[in-house]
Amino acid sequence: MYYKAAEKMGIKEKLGILTDAAKYDVACTSSGVDRRGDGTGMGNTEAGGICHSFSADGRCISLLKILFTNECIYDCKYCINRKSNDVPRASFTPDEVCELTMGFYKRNYIEGLFLSSGILYHPDFTMELIFQTIYKLRREYRFQGYIHVKAIPGADPMLIQKTGFLADRMSVNLELPTAESLRRLAPNKHRKNILAPMRQIQNGILENKNELVLYKKAPYFVPAGQSTQMIVGATPENDYQLMMVAESLYQKFGLKRVFYSAFVNVNEDKELPALPGGPPLLREHRLYQADWLLRYYGFQASELLSEERPNFNVLLDPKADWALRHLELFPVEVNRADYQQLLRVPGVGVKSAQRIIRARRNGSLRFEDLKKIGVVLKRALYFITCSGKMMYHTKIEEDYITRNLLSVKEKLPFDKDGVTYRQLSLFDDVNFQMQQDG
Amino acid sequence: MVVGMEEKYLICEDSLEGVFTGIYEAYAMKGDHGHMHIQIGEEENFRLFAVYIKVTPDDVKAAKVAATINRRLGAEVYLDLCRALAAEDGEKGEAVYKTVVRGLRMKEGSRVMGALADDFVHKVFELSRRTRNEVHHWKEFLRFQELENGILYSKIGPRNNVVTFLAPHFSDRLPLFDFMIYDEKRGIFVVHPKKREWYLVTDKDFDEREIGRYAEKEMEYQELFTFFCHKIAIKERKNLKLQRNMLPLRFQEYMVEFGQ
Ligand code: SF4
Repeated sequence: MYYKAAEKMGIKEKLGILTDAAKYDVACTSSGVDRRGDGTGMGNTEAGGICHSFSADGRCISLLKILFTNECIYDCKYCINRKSNDVPRASFTPDEVCELTMGFYKRNYIEGLFLSSGILYHPDFTMELIFQTIYKLRREYRFQGYIHVKAIPGADPMLIQKTGFLADRMSVNLELPTAESLRRLAPNKHRKNILAPMRQIQNGILENKNELVLYKKAPYFVPAGQSTQMIVGATPENDYQLMMVAESLYQKFGLKRVFYSAFVNVNEDKELPALPGGPPLLREHRLYQADWLLRYYGFQASELLSEERPNFNVLLDPKADWALRHLELFPVEVNRADYQQLLRVPGVGVKSAQRIIRARRNGSLRFEDLKKIGVVLKRALYFITCSGKMMYHTKIEEDYITRNLLSVKEKLPFDKDGVTYRQLSLFDDVNFQMQQDG
Repeated sequence: MVVGMEEKYLICEDSLEGVFTGIYEAYAMKGDHGHMHIQIGEEENFRLFAVYIKVTPDDVKAAKVAATINRRLGAEVYLDLCRALAAEDGEKGEAVYKTVVRGLRMKEGSRVMGALADDFVHKVFELSRRTRNEVHHWKEFLRFQELENGILYSKIGPRNNVVTFLAPHFSDRLPLFDFMIYDEKRGIFVVHPKKREWYLVTDKDFDEREIGRYAEKEMEYQELFTFFCHKIAIKERKNLKLQRNMLPLRFQEYMVEFGQ
């Protein structure tokens, strides 16, 4: 089979079309693997990932995020590239993708490539093109920077396997949290076609780990792990359902990251909700915060939400919200509490909890020491004691603390991989609205 | 005042070598560290009854101090001290000196950076973090431009002295390229000839005006990337304030996609 790489179209025009078509995939992280260059090519990777720029929506630009082609045989209702849309179509050649990646990388514009694709002719045909492209990039162009590729649902497992030995990260998008929603909005995709490659990649990563123990020289398979994305707000699922799905993806599929993408209505399809207020950004933000609590703070989804209380509090971050509903556990004594207890204190992050543990070996900590360590006292003061004393004489009473916390701007965990960056500004908006509302 | 207990100020050069030599001299004097201080550069207001001693940087002495720090406090603390000394700050010499003293008194010197309740340690911690953050920012935001002769050239204006931390990063990434990074505030160039080790030269040895013309392709790539940045933004999520928070203006002037 042939595909027309739109011979007459210039590279700039293609780049425009295929970037436009790729931008709704929110993942742009280059994290998860530390690899030095071997001196024979170009590139390396840093475990924390590196952002290289920020676009006008404040999102991090880390990778050259493009589709190989925006031709597609499917007709997913939420997608700008669906078959029934009349939009300009374009396809790259493998060499064009390689040249762009190399040219951008050496100028330090990007950390690497994020290659996704519409489905051209057949999932196998598309996966084969993706494979050939990154094979070329790794072997001929000797590119050693970061590569994230999509595994195309329904593609031959052999192709996915081969690709996994060249990529740093792979992802299969779950798209929608329930099989029912998927059936309604993405009639050509099936839940099992999405979960099968996910499981395959998970098993591949596990086998590879064992292999690497035996032979150090064994090639790496998807060393930066697997991620996925769910669209938030296109279908009626609540936050509780979304978090339960995310939790099981972490636990049962060993995913590295779950991304949440506030639905942007590009097609005005009657099956889709109209969103007069724009994409549900605050909701997306709360989901990221809760996701963070699952991955780094030892929380379970069922501690944060329940059938009776299925959505996050708009005004309070999920951790403060949890703490206010569990005042019986507070205050904790900073000089004695264990790491897990410290992590649950609003205003104490992973880094400051670790620093508290280290610093208190050299003697009891006072409130001014906590400040140096990076604890946000304005938030923490209701929940801690230092050597038995609270910072001020305050009431430990839900309404009172809630009112006080709401007057403090939220501080969020700092991450280099872009997604959490976006969180800062949303709170300005919240405060702004609250002021306006009086 | 007790005789012999006057405050002694060791005046050191603003460099790793300078401050480490100062620490060497402070130990050699065998006095009470509480009454000895390291100061970088000249003092503006001389204190009465204080003694000022000028320290000339010395390779051998500095290397001994570096070796002791590495052995007794560990490579990680050593790196924190180096980062602190790369920061632009008048009191960094004293903070590093007193942190070393504290560390060498501890049973497990490698834990000294945990003692954040100590003001000197905390200062080193803050300065080290400041440098590390800026190094990271330049890894993100520095741009190379390709010259006609194939050299990749980058100009930056960092607040702290970061080029020596950037050089290993880019040497590992671009081993087969000739590249240069120019710190225009301090007049220092990192020079990396392909397949060889990088080194530093100052603008006394090299004139920035000798940098040749840009390669023909260079403008094309700048245009492509600028276009990409424009296309990747989702207009329904537009948030310029967030963009500016993430990417302070002082970096934007060095970035091709924000074009001058
Ligand atoms: S498969 Fe669906 S989501 Fe993917 S490009 Fe095609 S229409 Fe869009």
